[in-house]
Amino acid sequence: MRKKFALVMMILLGAVLLSACAGGPVHGSTWPGVATDGNIVYLADGSVYAVSLGDGRELWRYPGSTKLTFYAPPAITPDGLVIIGSAGTDHNLIALNPNDINPETNAPIEAWTFTGATDRWVAKPLMINNKLFAVNADGNLYILDLQDGRTVKEATVVKLGGRLWAQPITDGERVYITSLDHSVIAVDANTYDILWHENLGGAVPGSTVLGEDGMLYVGSLASQLERFDPATGNHQSVLDAENWVWSTPALDGDTLYFGDVDGNFYSYNTSTGSLNWKPVKPDGAITASPLVQNDHILLATESGSLIALGRDGKTLWKEEIGGKIYTTPVAVSNLTIVAPLETEFFLAALDANGRQVWTFTPQK
Amino acid sequence: MWDLFISVFVNVLIWIYDVVGNNFGLAIILFTILIRIVTWPLNAQQMKGAAAMQALQSDKDWQAIQKKYAKDKEKLAQEQMRVYKEKGINPFGSCLPTLIQFPIIIALYQSIIRALASTPLDLLKLSRSISLPNVSDLIPLNSKFLWMDLGHPESVAIFGLAIPTLAVIVAITTYIQAKLTMPASANPGDQSAAMSGMMSIYMPLLLGYFALTFASGLSVYFITSNVLGIVQYAMQGKANWHNLIPGFLKKN
Repeated sequence: MRKKFALVMMILLGAVLLSACAGGPVHGSTWPGVATDGNIVYLADGSVYAVSLGDGRELWRYPGSTKLTFYAPPAITPDGLVIIGSAGTDHNLIALNPNDINPETNAPIEAWTFTGATDRWVAKPLMINNKLFAVNADGNLYILDLQDGRTVKEATVVKLGGRLWAQPITDGERVYITSLDHSVIAVDANTYDILWHENLGGAVPGSTVLGEDGMLYVGSLASQLERFDPATGNHQSVLDAENWVWSTPALDGDTLYFGDVDGNFYSYNTSTGSLNWKPVKPDGAITASPLVQNDHILLATESGSLIALGRDGKTLWKEEIGGKIYTTPVAVSNLTIVAPLETEFFLAALDANGRQVWTFTPQK
Repeated sequence: MWDLFISVFVNVLIWIYDVVGNNFGLAIILFTILIRIVTWPLNAQQMKGAAAMQALQSDKDWQAIQKKYAKDKEKLAQEQMRVYKEKGINPFGSCLPTLIQFPIIIALYQSIIRALASTPLDLLKLSRSISLPNVSDLIPLNSKFLWMDLGHPESVAIFGLAIPTLAVIVAITTYIQAKLTMPASANPGDQSAAMSGMMSIYMPLLLGYFALTFASGLSVYFITSNVLGIVQYAMQGKANWHNLIPGFLKKN
């Protein structure tokens, strides 16, 4: 009898432990996405939350589920729609209308949905005029017409390959997309033709950035900073980092700031092709992009710190937020919005000196 | 400690993946064979324990105490322990390999999820788990194997219906393995046989449910492990085919 009991208990324990690994629409499954329209902060962290920028109050939420789970940073259209992509089992891209709230659920009504993708949405979509360029982990670029009036969208599909996790960027002429299959791709912004497709030798989880010199820069998991000619795709490594470069470099004149997962922080001068100073190691792994402010560079780290660095690499101030910060902070109206993991609160707003103004914790 | 265990699994999986030409399905199959080899002594112990328990059912002393203390469970348990001790039988010996499977299953599941890294956080965790040199060109791992995406539950569309073929195969192979390893018992009151009978029903359902719900890489492990178990029992002449095909022994 004891044997039977022990065996049944082990099976139940196994089931519980395996179920715990299965994941679901919960806070902290991966790093959240944050965006703002200047008045409201939108947080995708399992569910999608609209939070008042003034006081951190929850305005509405769009509930997540096993099917619909949201982590990709929302995109906000000029007419105020909030576009969110699901990382759940339903791979829907949904436009929410915050001006049309269901009084029973206090959740916004869907203005349209796109159901053509086959994997999760991790990247924030890019808007060019009336077109939405949305990349999915299924390796496709989906181009949607934002003004066709459809409630069920159709898309032009450009097959690129690999898992696409980073927001595309554009120079108006071309759209640049990075892939975990080690490549950077340029697509014509008007004809959607693939112009070039180059391999870097390591996955590229961050976006490219256009430098002041007209060249394209990107970091990779091959621990390199790579420079591209945007017209031809010719490229070369310009810097060996200590470890994986995850974050999208931040542009500040002719300087690029970026970090690696060992916690090294680099300041690379695109004019001279060299580092401005020896890399500093402020505090913890860096996956978030730095924020360039008037008098300092803001850096969020895995150790839960928000650090202000001078342009000489010296630390000006450091604020312990708590938890772990992987998401790039958002700067708006003299506030910096941070979305840490493994903390009670989901968002924190800090003033220009790093003092906490409010935190946001969803109501149960 | 547990994370170290996962990291070892992840590194072995990635090393095999690299050796076999970036095929994660094949890496899981070879890894399962490796696990089977490592746990071979435990499996041998299980077979020995099962055989001893089976032999005990026809032991006169054992049958006598079953009758004598049929209404006194406490005394019966004491007497059973005495007989186990006298005959040098570990009553839990046949259960151990089954119990050992669970931490391996959980660790393997977590290793598969971590190695395939379907979210940014998983990929970052993977970077911390890898101690092999120069593997950034392998990352991310290719999760496609045959018709499956090993990071997701599997199903095949047949006439518009999503049929979870792997879950069905997992349930069938688990059932076959359980039946083949179940000792024959002539004693209708034999608790050990009753438990084995119960396990041969519940285990296929449970593992089938796991296969239905979790990443299909885990199903590849279940199927490979089951098939290897069946082959191991058959090769050692321990497979009880009579349980699977009634009348098998009479004809053979």
